Order: sequence, then structure tokens, then C-alpha cells
Amino acid sequence: MTESWVIETAGLRKDYGPVAALRGLDLQVPQGSIYGFLGRNGAGKTTAIKILLGMTHPTAGRASIFGLNAAAGEESVEIRRRTAFVSEDKDLIDGMTVESMIRFTAGFYPGWRSDLEQRYLRRFELPTFQKVKALSRGTRTKLALFLALCRSAKLLILDEPTSGLDPAVTEEVLQALVAHVAKEETTVFFSSHQIAEVDQIADRVAIIDAGRAVVAGALEDLREKYSRVQVVFDGEPPKTAFEQPGVVRVRRSGRTLSVLSSAGSDGVIEQARALNPVAVDVVPVTLKEIFLETVAEED
Amino acid sequence: MLWYKSWLETRWQFIAGLIVLACAAAEVVLLWPKINELIPMASNIQANGEIGRRIREGAELARDYRGYVWSQAFRQGVTHMATLFAVLLGTGGLLSHRSGGLFLLSLPVPRRRFVLTRAAAGLGELLILAFIPSVGILLFSPAVGKSYGVADAVAHGTCLFAAAAVFFSSALLATSIFGDFWRPLLTVLCLAIILGLLESALAGQWTWGIFHIMSGEAYFRHRELPWLGLLASAAISIAMLFGATIEIERLDF
Amino acid sequence: MLLKPNPALGVPIYLQLMEQVKHAIETGALRPGEQLPGIRPLAEELVINPNTVAKAYRELEHEGVIELRHGAGAFVSASANGRKTPDKLRAAQTVVQNAVEQLRARGLTEEEIRRLFEAELAGLTRAGGRND
Repeated sequence: MTESWVIETAGLRKDYGPVAALRGLDLQVPQGSIYGFLGRNGAGKTTAIKILLGMTHPTAGRASIFGLNAAAGEESVEIRRRTAFVSEDKDLIDGMTVESMIRFTAGFYPGWRSDLEQRYLRRFELPTFQKVKALSRGTRTKLALFLALCRSAKLLILDEPTSGLDPAVTEEVLQALVAHVAKEETTVFFSSHQIAEVDQIADRVAIIDAGRAVVAGALEDLREKYSRVQVVFDGEPPKTAFEQPGVVRVRRSGRTLSVLSSAGSDGVIEQARALNPVAVDVVPVTLKEIFLETVAEED
Repeated sequence: MLWYKSWLETRWQFIAGLIVLACAAAEVVLLWPKINELIPMASNIQANGEIGRRIREGAELARDYRGYVWSQAFRQGVTHMATLFAVLLGTGGLLSHRSGGLFLLSLPVPRRRFVLTRAAAGLGELLILAFIPSVGILLFSPAVGKSYGVADAVAHGTCLFAAAAVFFSSALLATSIFGDFWRPLLTVLCLAIILGLLESALAGQWTWGIFHIMSGEAYFRHRELPWLGLLASAAISIAMLFGATIEIERLDF
Repeated sequence: MLLKPNPALGVPIYLQLMEQVKHAIETGALRPGEQLPGIRPLAEELVINPNTVAKAYRELEHEGVIELRHGAGAFVSASANGRKTPDKLRAAQTVVQNAVEQLRARGLTEEEIRRLFEAELAGLTRAGGRND
């Protein structure tokens, strides 16, 4: 069964001289998904996004959007006809006014939606005659998002859309995204540091670390598959235990072993009970913990 | 829409160039009466060496209006200014971070179109600037009771444009390589200064060079356009623009 | 009426939503036959993924708590626990009171008791969830 993914990368590599920014990234983003892309600073998120948009040339591997090759000139232009991008710094043309920016951008998209333009202008309260460089960070973000949403793009790629925004504007931005996706059948691919917001609006996530995807899948599946089992012993915990596939990390602290598993808790609980512990507890795991544990340094 | 962006990136340089070159043209014309009075005295100057030679040569040329205009305007002042503005038109903007590079790169536009639009807009502005001195002199000359030939104006404008275009293209190529505003500017200006010094040092042996073309000396002395030089300049400009396009397409942003 | 789910709890958002709907029915905020908010407007209001709302509604329908009528929306089913629940809740409260008293009598502190309950519930959630 072949599913057509909106975004698909296979073995994507990017070397900047001796430094490998991406070491074989595999991603599949389905249509209609709100896909969260998590990773530490320098893990390769922005590099991957730039390759998808044809701004950076990959060293090896394949990246395609809508089935088109992101590294091929003409196809990349076609990708950008149907994709909207908001960069981390909310790149815009500083010297133009808001109104000029809107008209400038609209000129490149025959499918520009004037109905959305009206709706979002009111909603975001954009000051049409101010110069872009004079806008506050929050307003600038809203303008960048506005320009992205009005294009009738089938895919939105956002690099840290809410970074540096106060909670009120953050919620505004997230709400606009959710509303847009619900109405317009768009796919959203966004990178973020804010795990809470990924938790809130994403239905699928990938965690990238050192240029590779270490976790990927539907958020609900991940929450079910990842579990933490706390095992308390009477004396010293056994030295070798829980070395099986699916165990992400075992931490020992005093007489307690804390086992993070990515394959459900049943196997771990069974093994734990066989070791004659004092107590075995299953504790809920948040996305934040999954993130921290899967990108942490090895002990 | 990209034309508008190119205009935004070059309008101050263009307007400044318009004003400066127009003033330079006016100044050349308006100085004529004064110079005319002083010429007879100049041939009596006993200075020796290179400077003496130049003064006597200048006096010789200034005997008639056409020669005066050439030696005063096209041989030096205007060529220097035109070079400066050609370089200024070619630096800055393009796809730099300050001009919203990542935003522009996310538009459904092939990269080479940014370079080509900027090149076309810049060359168009340069064409206008290149003809300001000669057309200006043409228009202002009646004010001092002289007239300047249309053929001369057209010829000098053409030579100025063709040679200045080389510096414009160099600046654009340098911008595509360095990305910022200052490094391309300083690099190409240094290059221009070095070339200029070389040319004047070897003025005796060589009769070609970019500034030689720009001043239209061949046309002034022999009423023949330096076709080979013009073609070579055009070819170099095109090659540099091609290089800029390739560089922009190759880059990782 | 429905509160924003908290992703940091470690409990899946769709489950939190289901609990809220059930609680709303128990307390009478939602009555049998009444219509629930649409999936998209609710996702917009709570700022969560529409698929999550859809899943919560599907599960609630599976449990018979609500009915999804094609083209019309989601409605609280007539057979949903309405009037019974205040008594049910009161009875449940007595069970909890007794359990807590017993555990206190054995010398457990509040914190320990709370931890035991949470672990039990988390374990139950997992056992009751999907098995691959």
C-alpha cells in the first residue's frame, strides 16, 4: 500500500564541511496533519526545513514535497507555489510597509485569497501603514503568519513560530493555525522548542537529535507506548537489568531503578516483579520527558 | 513585483547619482568662461616633469570647447563618479538577510530571476546615469554661449555606460559571493583604484584599459568609437552577471 | 463550559476531554439529547488538534455516552447517566472516604495515599488502552 506523503525524506544528509548537520533523516508527514518537529538547538531542524524549501542543497538522500523533488530547481519552484514558509526570524522586507508587503506577496500567488485577507486582517489587527522594521515581535510574527495563511497553500512550514512571543500572542497564533487547518485542509509542519504547544496542537511528532529522527509517530501512540516504571528494592538494585529492546533509559538513584520504555510497560513490569522488588509503580510520561530522555547524553 | 524590490534596493544610489552627475555637468559648463580666461597664462607655466606635462596638455586641450569638455569632464571627474555610482548600484540587497532573504527564497521564483531582475534594473539606472553628464553638458552649454554636439554626447554616454557596466557587474558578482554591503563595495572600489593607477602609470605604453574606454578617448581623438573595447566590456559584464547567477544558484542559505 | 486540557499531565488530551464531557453530563451541565459543540469550533476554542477532538467524540460514541448523527453533529445520548449520577457520585465518595480512613489507620501519609491512587489509575489506563 503506497501512501502519498505530503513531506517525505529518506536518508537526508547535509554536511557543512567537517560538520554533519543531518545524518540520515527519515520523515513522513501525512496530509492534514499538524506535525511537530522537536529538537535541541543545533540538532538540524532548520537545516532540514531549508532543504525542504530548496534554500539549502542536501549532501545526500532524498527530500520530496507533494511528490516533487525538493533539490531540483523547477520542481522546487512548484513546491513553493503550494507551500508557505515562516522563518525563525520572521524574515520580511524591512523597508516596506505592511500594506506593500501584502501587495508584494499577493503578486506572486494567483490563488491569493482575498476573503482570508479580510478575515485575518481584522483578526490580527495589523497596522497597514507601518513599516515592517518598526513592528513589535508579536505583530511581525502575526504579519508573517498572515502572509502565509492567505496564499491558499496546501502546506505550511513554520520554524519556531511562537519563539519570543508572550502567552497571549502565542495562543492567538496557535488558535489561528488550528482554525485554519480545520477549515482549509492544510498540512502544518512546524519546528518548536515549546513542548507544551506541540503537545497541544500536534497530532504527530518527530524528535530530531544529532541529525537523525530518534522518535517519530502519532502523539497518541507515543503516549501509550512510552511509559516509566519505578522499581524500588530493599537493598542495592541489580547491576544488569532491563537490557532489552524498547528500553530507552534506566536510571538508578539509591534503591530505585527508573525504567523508561518505548514499547509499553507490560514487559518491564514482568521483569521487574521477577526481581523481587519492594514496589513497582507505573508513572505517566509527558512528551517533555520523552524528549529529554531521548536526546540526553549517554551516561 | 521584483522590479519594485530592485528599485527599493537601488533608489538612493540612483537619486544621489542623478544629482551629483547633473551638478558635475553643470559645474564643467559653468567653469568654462573662467578657464577660457586663464588658458593663455597656462602655457607660460614652467613646471617640469609629469605635472608640468599634464598642465601643458590640459591647456592645449582646452583651447577649444570640445577639448575642454573632454579633458575636464570625461577624462577624470565624471569617470570617477560614474565608477563610484556603478559600484554602489551593484552592492547590497539581492538575497541578503537584511533584505528578507529567506522570505524571498520561499517565493515561487527561480533564484536566477532575482539576479537577472536586479541586473536589468541596475543597468537601466546606470544607462540613465551614464547619459546625464553628456546630455547635461549638451543642455547647459548654451548658458555659456557654447554648443556641444549631439554625436559627441551620444558617443561619450555610450562609452561611459559600457565601461561603468563592468564595475556594476563586478559589484553584483561580489555581492553574490560576499552577501553583505561593505565587502563587495570596498573590494570593487579597491580594484577600480588599482586599475586606475595602473592605467595612468602605463599611459605612455598602453592605449587601452577600462578607464580609457570610459573616457571615450578614442572617440575624442579620432572620432571613432572603440568598438573592440566596447564589445570586450560588454562581454566581461555579461560574464560577471552569469557568474553572479551561478553563485546565487549554488549557495546554501 | 469545557476547560482547556493540560498536556503536561501526562494523560492523553483526548482522555481528558472524554472525562470532561462525562463529568459535564454527570453534573447536569450537559443533558441527554443536548448537542455538543462541533469538532472544529471546539478545537478552535480549546486550541487543540481537531483530530484529538474527533477521537474523543468517537470514543465517547463507542462507549455509548454520545451519538454522532451524520450531518447534524454530536448529541448526548438519551441513555447517558443523567439523574442517577448524583447518587452514584455520593456512593463513590463514601467508598473513597472509607479507603482513605483505612489507609490512614495503617500509618500512610496523605502523600503516600495520593501516590498509590495515581499509580493505580495510570496502570489502569494503560491496561485499558490499546494493546499492539
